[in-house]
Amino acid sequence: MSNIIKTVDVTDSLENLSEFCDIENGRISGKIFSDKAIYEQELEKIFARCWLFVAHESQIPKTGDYITTTMGEDEVIVVRQKDGGIKVFLNACPHRGNKVCFAESGSTRGFICNYHGWSFNTAGNLVGQHESGIYEASDFDKSKWGLKEVAQVDSWKGLVFATFDPEAPTLKEYLGPMTWYLDALFDNQEGGTEFAGGCIRSTYECNWKIAAENFVGDILHAGWTHDSAARAMLGGAVAKVSDFEESYSVNWNGHGYEFALDTVGNVAVLGESALNKYVHTIKPSVAERLGEFRSNMVASVSSCTIFPNFSFLAGQNTIRVWQPRGPNKIELFSWVLVNKSAPDDIKEKWRKGAMMTFSPTGVFEMDDGENWEYCTRTSKGKVTGAQDLYIGLGMNTLERQTDLPANVYKGQLNEANARAYYQHWYDHLNAKSWSEIPDRNVGKAEVE
Amino acid sequence: MDKVFLCKVSDLAENEVKKIDNSEHGDIAVYNLGGQYYATADLCTHATASLAEGDVEDDLIVCPVHWGQFHIPTGKAMGFPCEIDLRTYPVEVEGDDIYALVEAADAALIAKG
Amino acid sequence: MANQTETQVELRPVSMEQHHKVSCFLAREYRLLDEEKFDEWLALMHEDVHYWMPGIENRRRENLLEHGFYASDHMAYFDDKLRDLQRRVARFQQPSAWAENPGTRNVHQVSNIEVYYGETDGEYLVHSVFQSVRSRGMDEEYVIYGRRTDVLVEEGGSFKLKKRLILIPNATLSCKNINTFL
Repeated sequence: MSNIIKTVDVTDSLENLSEFCDIENGRISGKIFSDKAIYEQELEKIFARCWLFVAHESQIPKTGDYITTTMGEDEVIVVRQKDGGIKVFLNACPHRGNKVCFAESGSTRGFICNYHGWSFNTAGNLVGQHESGIYEASDFDKSKWGLKEVAQVDSWKGLVFATFDPEAPTLKEYLGPMTWYLDALFDNQEGGTEFAGGCIRSTYECNWKIAAENFVGDILHAGWTHDSAARAMLGGAVAKVSDFEESYSVNWNGHGYEFALDTVGNVAVLGESALNKYVHTIKPSVAERLGEFRSNMVASVSSCTIFPNFSFLAGQNTIRVWQPRGPNKIELFSWVLVNKSAPDDIKEKWRKGAMMTFSPTGVFEMDDGENWEYCTRTSKGKVTGAQDLYIGLGMNTLERQTDLPANVYKGQLNEANARAYYQHWYDHLNAKSWSEIPDRNVGKAEVE
Repeated sequence: MDKVFLCKVSDLAENEVKKIDNSEHGDIAVYNLGGQYYATADLCTHATASLAEGDVEDDLIVCPVHWGQFHIPTGKAMGFPCEIDLRTYPVEVEGDDIYALVEAADAALIAKG
Repeated sequence: MANQTETQVELRPVSMEQHHKVSCFLAREYRLLDEEKFDEWLALMHEDVHYWMPGIENRRRENLLEHGFYASDHMAYFDDKLRDLQRRVARFQQPSAWAENPGTRNVHQVSNIEVYYGETDGEYLVHSVFQSVRSRGMDEEYVIYGRRTDVLVEEGGSFKLKKRLILIPNATLSCKNINTFL
């Protein structure tokens, strides 16, 4: 098909990039949260290159079902095809560039541009225009003017990802051994997962990396930042993470998952005993399916980010994308995940509980927002932005002797994932193509 | 009255539509709805579109360009943005051959091909 | 808002005096929030309160949801019973609610009040329009406005809030949170 995006222009990397990111010494510069030139590089070398989460399959079950979202700042339509596949198009008419789909979700036979009536079917082909007869005199070739199709689309366990870059590795390679851990949430029961209806969108005056990094491996903040919410929901402080006998930070290609093995630490903060009970009830079947180790992760104290901006909390079951909107702004798209096979009242309790804790009205999220906005805001100061920020916790915690996949670090009170995240961020900004990105993984690439 | 050969029965599967070029009367769309054959003008009455490129849904043809609908047996315009009914033609089946009976008539009603 | 797709039974407006009482109740409720008198505010809630602020979804007219732009089983900012409201208040009241210190300065405003007799004796259906202005820190300002539909129950000379539906026009919240009640 002639309308697939074939190339994305890549400019030279910033020369002084290494000044902002010194991972070996556990330091980054505040400037990476506010610098406009860095942000432009991110749009090009990260958001136009990496695999980005665009939808859950359950949001678009039938032919013609669609949702609209963004990949970086690029607006896209994700639509279910007649053959059951999924295509992702730029949400922009190739005639004058107007948006062709203004709704956030729905079901349709196609998309008609409001400007000059160019009409596209769900496969993205241009099938007609207002006054179509007049185009003939200009030797117009309809087949060349369909909606621009994103280079690669693939899904893993219901999660649909897309990339603008035809040279990007496969989604499977991109996720690597992280999928072994992701199974704990996305494949712990037969039938997999689905999203509750709707998508809540909110606006933060913060840099997108601050939020993504918070989920990639920062459980440290929870005990302090979220003390008030924990006391409100549980009647006491959150579990003291340093008391856990066994916990991990694992990462791969910038993705990171930090977790304890306490099974229900995260779900407990929803304050719904029925949900704790559900997790305990399914645990034996999870153990049978995924083994004992991962059955302890289903709703444990944990968080995860898939590079660059897709994050979730197992247990709270909040799924989110931090959509970049300039160096100092994000739109947060959030959804609620449930097991398809869960009873309706359990799904309902998760829908409400996730919102009660992690949403714009969520008692936990309220304290995050304030922190993230001011981390960003202070970095706008010329002198403040240049100050080094410390990310050196857990420098020597790599587990060399382990059967677990990916790069495994001991303990979740650890900035190993944050370091790996920023290192990968740096590597992308420093590379003109995928082949220039160094492989810094040291752990097991294979999953059993 | 012109008797226009459309296609063979064996060439038109159930719930399918096919466009038959016809420069004299305008292109004709021929339909097989559960073994019953129908013929209508192929050109949408709303904008330039070949109805044969659209989807047959029950006894409706959905225009591929703006998704207006026509009732195949009667040609009645059924949904926005289509307001003008579609011309229909009586159909005769002789053995394996399907024909439309086209009145050489009222030019205004006949869509140009 | 074009959201109201339910067929309405004929509405019977209340007397001017009753209308005034309801207006005073709504004004007092908002003043309690502005003054952070959360316990007194909670005392205005009916024990079976349903406090609901659904997420607004930007859908085409031919693809409307159960109630147009929202649906009862979709994500919601608030979908609360009394216990949930109590938990939210409990968080506000923790000394470790860092993002509430310095405090948020609130101005809640209510207008366009319509009061009708409800479905059962002693119940009132109240439509109103609200505006909530919050300021935090030196310069943060957040404005949220929308429509409300309340069901009030008359109790001991005053009212209790039994149902509240809060509808904002925004499909994307233009700020990071809603650290207040609406």
